[in-house]
Amino acid sequence: MASATTPEAPATEDRFDRVATTTCGYCGVGCRLETRARDGRVVSIAPALDGPANEGHTCLKGRFAHGFTRSPDRLKTPLIRVDGELRPASWEEALERIVDELTRIKGEHGPDAVAGLASSRATNEDCYAMQRLMRAAIGTNNIDNCSRVCHSPTSFAMRKSFGLSGATGSFSDIDHAEVALLLGVNPTQGHPVVGARIKQAALRGCKLITIDPRRIELADYGAIHLSPRPGTNAAVVLGLSHVIHREGLVDAAFIAERTEGWDAVEELLAGYDPASVEEITGIPAADLEAAALLYGEASSGSLLWGLGVTEHKYGSEVVQLLCNLAMMTGKVGKPGSALLPLRGQNNVQGSSDMGALPDTYTAYRSVEDEDVASQFEAAWGAPLSRHKGMTIPQMFDAAVAGDLKAMYIFGEDVAQTDPDTAHVAAALENLEFLVCQEIFPNETTKFADVVLPASAFLEKEGTFINAERRFQVVEPAIDPPGEARTDFEIIGEVARRLGHEFGWESPWDALDEVARLTPHYAGVSRERLGRSGLQWPVRPDGSDSPTLYDTVFDRPGGRGHFAALPYKAPGDAADDDFPLVLVTGRILQHYNAGTMTRRTGNARLVDRDVLEVHPVDAARLWITDGDKVSVRSRVGRIEVEAKVTDRIEPGHVFTTFHFPETRTNLLVGQSADVNTSCPEYKVIAVDVRPIAEQPSFVPVLADGDGREP
Amino acid sequence: MSRNLVELIRRHHAVDAPTALDLLKEAMEDHGELTDADRRAAAEASGLPEAAVYGVSTFYDDLLAPRGERHVRVCTGTACFVAAGERPVEELSAGLRLAPGERSADGAVSLAETVCLGFCHSSPAVRVGEEVDAGAGAIERALAGESRPAAEPDWSSLLPEPVLTRPGAWAGLRRALDTLGREGLLAEVEAAEVRGRGGAGFPAGAKWAFAAKAKGDEKFVVANGDEGDPGSYIDKYLMERSPELLLEGMALAGYAVGAGHGFVLCRSEYPASKPALEAAAARAREAGLLGEGILGTDFAFDVTIIEGAGSYVVGEETALLACVQGLRGTVSARPPFPAERGVYGMPTVVNNVETLANIPFVAARGAEAYRALSPDSETAGSKLVCFNERFARPSVYEVPFGMTVRELCEDVAGGLRDGHQIKAVQIGGPLGGILPASLLDTVFDFDALAEVGCMVGHGSILAFDETADMRDVARHLLRFGADESCGKCFPCRIGMRRAYEEFATDAPVDRARFEALLETLELGSLCAHGSGIPAPMRSLLTHFPDELGLR
Amino acid sequence: MSEVTVDAAPDALRVTIDGTTLEVAPGTTILEAAQAAGRWIPTVCFDDRQAPFGACRVCMVAVEGSPRPLPACTTPCGNGMKVETEEPTARRVARTVVELVLSELPEPPEPHTELARVAARLGVDGSRWSGAVHPHEDDFRHPYLALRHELCISCGRCVRACDEIQGAFALTATGRGFEANIVAGLDAGFEESTCVSCGACADTCPTDAISEIGLVAQLERS
Repeated sequence: MASATTPEAPATEDRFDRVATTTCGYCGVGCRLETRARDGRVVSIAPALDGPANEGHTCLKGRFAHGFTRSPDRLKTPLIRVDGELRPASWEEALERIVDELTRIKGEHGPDAVAGLASSRATNEDCYAMQRLMRAAIGTNNIDNCSRVCHSPTSFAMRKSFGLSGATGSFSDIDHAEVALLLGVNPTQGHPVVGARIKQAALRGCKLITIDPRRIELADYGAIHLSPRPGTNAAVVLGLSHVIHREGLVDAAFIAERTEGWDAVEELLAGYDPASVEEITGIPAADLEAAALLYGEASSGSLLWGLGVTEHKYGSEVVQLLCNLAMMTGKVGKPGSALLPLRGQNNVQGSSDMGALPDTYTAYRSVEDEDVASQFEAAWGAPLSRHKGMTIPQMFDAAVAGDLKAMYIFGEDVAQTDPDTAHVAAALENLEFLVCQEIFPNETTKFADVVLPASAFLEKEGTFINAERRFQVVEPAIDPPGEARTDFEIIGEVARRLGHEFGWESPWDALDEVARLTPHYAGVSRERLGRSGLQWPVRPDGSDSPTLYDTVFDRPGGRGHFAALPYKAPGDAADDDFPLVLVTGRILQHYNAGTMTRRTGNARLVDRDVLEVHPVDAARLWITDGDKVSVRSRVGRIEVEAKVTDRIEPGHVFTTFHFPETRTNLLVGQSADVNTSCPEYKVIAVDVRPIAEQPSFVPVLADGDGREP
Repeated sequence: MSRNLVELIRRHHAVDAPTALDLLKEAMEDHGELTDADRRAAAEASGLPEAAVYGVSTFYDDLLAPRGERHVRVCTGTACFVAAGERPVEELSAGLRLAPGERSADGAVSLAETVCLGFCHSSPAVRVGEEVDAGAGAIERALAGESRPAAEPDWSSLLPEPVLTRPGAWAGLRRALDTLGREGLLAEVEAAEVRGRGGAGFPAGAKWAFAAKAKGDEKFVVANGDEGDPGSYIDKYLMERSPELLLEGMALAGYAVGAGHGFVLCRSEYPASKPALEAAAARAREAGLLGEGILGTDFAFDVTIIEGAGSYVVGEETALLACVQGLRGTVSARPPFPAERGVYGMPTVVNNVETLANIPFVAARGAEAYRALSPDSETAGSKLVCFNERFARPSVYEVPFGMTVRELCEDVAGGLRDGHQIKAVQIGGPLGGILPASLLDTVFDFDALAEVGCMVGHGSILAFDETADMRDVARHLLRFGADESCGKCFPCRIGMRRAYEEFATDAPVDRARFEALLETLELGSLCAHGSGIPAPMRSLLTHFPDELGLR
Repeated sequence: MSEVTVDAAPDALRVTIDGTTLEVAPGTTILEAAQAAGRWIPTVCFDDRQAPFGACRVCMVAVEGSPRPLPACTTPCGNGMKVETEEPTARRVARTVVELVLSELPEPPEPHTELARVAARLGVDGSRWSGAVHPHEDDFRHPYLALRHELCISCGRCVRACDEIQGAFALTATGRGFEANIVAGLDAGFEESTCVSCGACADTCPTDAISEIGLVAQLERS
């Protein structure tokens, strides 16, 4: 790969026979990639030099982790469960079975007995097709996507505070920020290219304030690191706001002209002085003050957060408090002052933007809104329900209760990634009919009645929307293997057989329909997206929106909304029986369920989940580095290898959920965000103890010298 | 230099704390070799990434050769080569039964090459531990384990009143603080036209003016005491005999540009330099001449003495700054110049030791008096020159510019001893042109020497006598050039090696191909190491073509 | 004479590249100005994702008033500067450097590599020199990254990619002079270092000294 000064590569590069430029399907950064294939296999992927989000860089997942596309256990034919076993079937058989069952169940129990789950890894067009299938072909609003379990609180909160569900700026704002505050996010692991960008900015002088129970890598490059107890983020943000207010660092003009609701917040802040906040969070008062002054005194500052904020009982409230913080200091709508929720998956932004949600159509317009609903009715030629559908947690509850009879899930392994695995298993077990559309057999397909072989991101065309609201084109590098088909085709075919014809020749037609029916995306088209994509809102003339809210917020009256929300304790807390708090999360080398990454060389680099334990806790619990330990929560128990590290604080532990054998999510209970039901993956009270291989015959004294008593 | 690595160092540094390089050197001194544990510890302490520390550990001579209880370092500099050829290495190697770079199995003794020890007046020289033995019998004594420190001849001045060969008296600093003020001092130094004495000849006043204007939270002065030129021991004498003069010059530089701290980087091949400087600095602090509130004013300035670790190119100013910060001593492209971005990314003045030693006189007596020191020359100030062992009276001498080379060789240094005749002299260092005997009447001055393909350089005057084989000399110089290449720029990294290979065997030298190399080195190299080697080579091609075995 | 405007600002500099005059912002290098003027200057150690390094000396150009050629990548434009990119001496130096580089490799670079393409475009297809070459030392331990030390020409691009782009600082130059090369971490391979396997090093390497395992011909499986 070359720089701009290199002579062009020879026109015939005989190492590859098919090249394409696409967008990465791993995380929400949305790196643009040049794919090179030969003989139907992806041979090499390189970062696109002109990728707006990645500018010629990428990470090991986008770059190297493509081997999974040719993994031997790839699903290549449809499967139907016969006598308890999944056996290969033809497409005709499989599709007939699906149509028969869904029609039957719909007939016997009504359309709301069926639910669909769209994949946040799939394209916008796939998700749009899925929600149209559920709404127009089946007749229900029971459609959700996995943003439910990660950034739904962000979506809720930002719509409430500012009006639109997305970052207020772009990644490039990081380069212009004097200060950047990172709360509950570990970009060098979860969003590596953005993490690298932040690190370089920090080395150039951007002052980082990192706030996380763990001492994340970026803390080593930052100005100050705060380590709050898990679940106390709201108190931290309120404390920072208190100090800023006390020091007179608020932007009074901004508050007066551009916002509403300040008075209630001002009153609330009085109770969050640093000493009080220290009691709640464990953060030394002096540190909180220093961090607040850094942010408050800077002329530009960005706020970045991730699942360490949202996957909490009051996650949506914390996001609102972050919006408050930005509005108080006027640090929104300007270059360098952006609020950047680092959306996890490559298309978690898009799957929600496309309306694969129980309560909204595209661009978050309510299904209860008569104008919007009738517009879609007219476009689709089918009557549409005006009642909100079920969220994923509600779907599982309904399945267990027997009210939900069928589910059609594509691209999501709920049995591995959703909380309270036992509950999920019970729900899936109790369904009468489950269709899984996947690229690999997984924990969820174990419960499926029909499994359809679908396409990976390297095998489809369409668009993704990344964490900076950018629509970017996806072009296939290769074709799906065997008899696998693209998700888009499959969903279209199912809809057709259910009696609803989409009328699209390709995903681009679906995109055109989205643009026609959605004012915020009006100017989007494949042609206009080109190589750089466009950040919504995209006006009819094709101009897009790198920075939002520079003059008005997208709310009635145009003012940002201050929310006066006090700190409330998390849904779980350590006690005598479960004295440690577990935080779950991701690492660099793997992605979520590890479906793709575990089937690549990445598995050689990291081949298991480990539990990070602080040396003080390890000593107290007699755990040595590498020991197998048992981890028990109120709802489940797992066994995992321990790693002793001082990157975390005493009192809490951390593990990942990339390997199905670990079954980390068995430990996660029902506690979830009060507004959006996003599970509280980040605060789980646990008990950890070593598992001895053999009983010890020599009682050992507490000072460990092995003497007999 | 990597901006990020410099930033990491800046964030972790405390001005007197050891750098990663210092820590690696300590480990070598402690257990004679480096382990990964040493590298990790150095990384942890300095804030540098482990890989960067690994790179440091494989760059410097002092870190590479394993050390035994008795570490014998034999000098292979040009003066020692002229005096004894390959014999010192061969005899020590044979006697100790070790190749250079090896340590005996029982760890009792080790042998390494080093260049240059600064005992060119008494070549050959051998260093055992911290002592340098030299002259007749030095090799034998080293083999017998009976080395003793060699005497060093006194230095002297030809000027009516010595300027450089005298202990410092701090009169310049006093006058600067009392009378001249910052601006006045800058003006005086600029008017004095003090040209850099390290080889480049760049006006010190201009450098200081840039640094004074540059913006930075802190500024630094760095004294380049890495006099690596074989044949030159001028800075050694200054650092060890007039350290106060140097410290005063640094304080004056600091005062002029607004720097509060200085570093002296002295060579590790001169084990006596650092102790001498540290003792002088301690005395100066006691007397209120360094530290806070100097001479009762609000001017504060202090120094840290740092030792190098065995790399000739570290004498180049950007490589020097890299070494001061504990990084690999490779050269960096300029701009940015050190006056804009130097130590820790801050504005830095880098001056040669001798240059700085000139400043106290300028400050004390003024530009006019300084310019009058060389009445027969346009060039201002005086120059220290030194001579190699071939001469009758080898030592360091302070001379005015404007004398001829012949006068210097015959009148000052007494001509060659034992009836030998000068065949040629190399002036200014291994990258200086070679002046044949026929041109000895050339005036010793910047322009006059440049006209004959030579230079003032550092000021060393190294004689080849009639027994010298100029092809051997070419091979010796090219081997030095290749060994000391920092390895960054392609012309020098590869070209020096290829140039050496032309002379490495007895095969005839392809002249056209060799000239192509010289052109590429001269015009393409990143620094004066690569671009300098063509000068002596061209001298040899011009004046001694028949001896070179050309085709 | 043609005009191209890159950045017209009050303090803009006027510079002429091979007869084309353009206005550039202060701080613009000759290489950047040449690119804007559509003139090709060969480079080997340059990557526009990194700060210029000035190591290869292949980008030498003639600048009016300078007695010797100057490296385009690290020389800032001056007002009124006149540059000739193909001036004979400058080009001769550039070509000789490329010849020297070819001479240090045990075998010619593969045609798709940047080095091969630059050599081809400069018309350099062999070397007058033969002498020491880098010894073979191949590291194929990592699942994705292959490191073949014998192909390393010490251009520094990989080290700088890991420093300035990824910020993992896993690579370093090692050794000195002709023996200079690069290693990861404490020379125990990529996995034992702070490498995050992003591949920026393989991406920028002009000789495939660092490349993808999947693209190393000798390791190709059918």
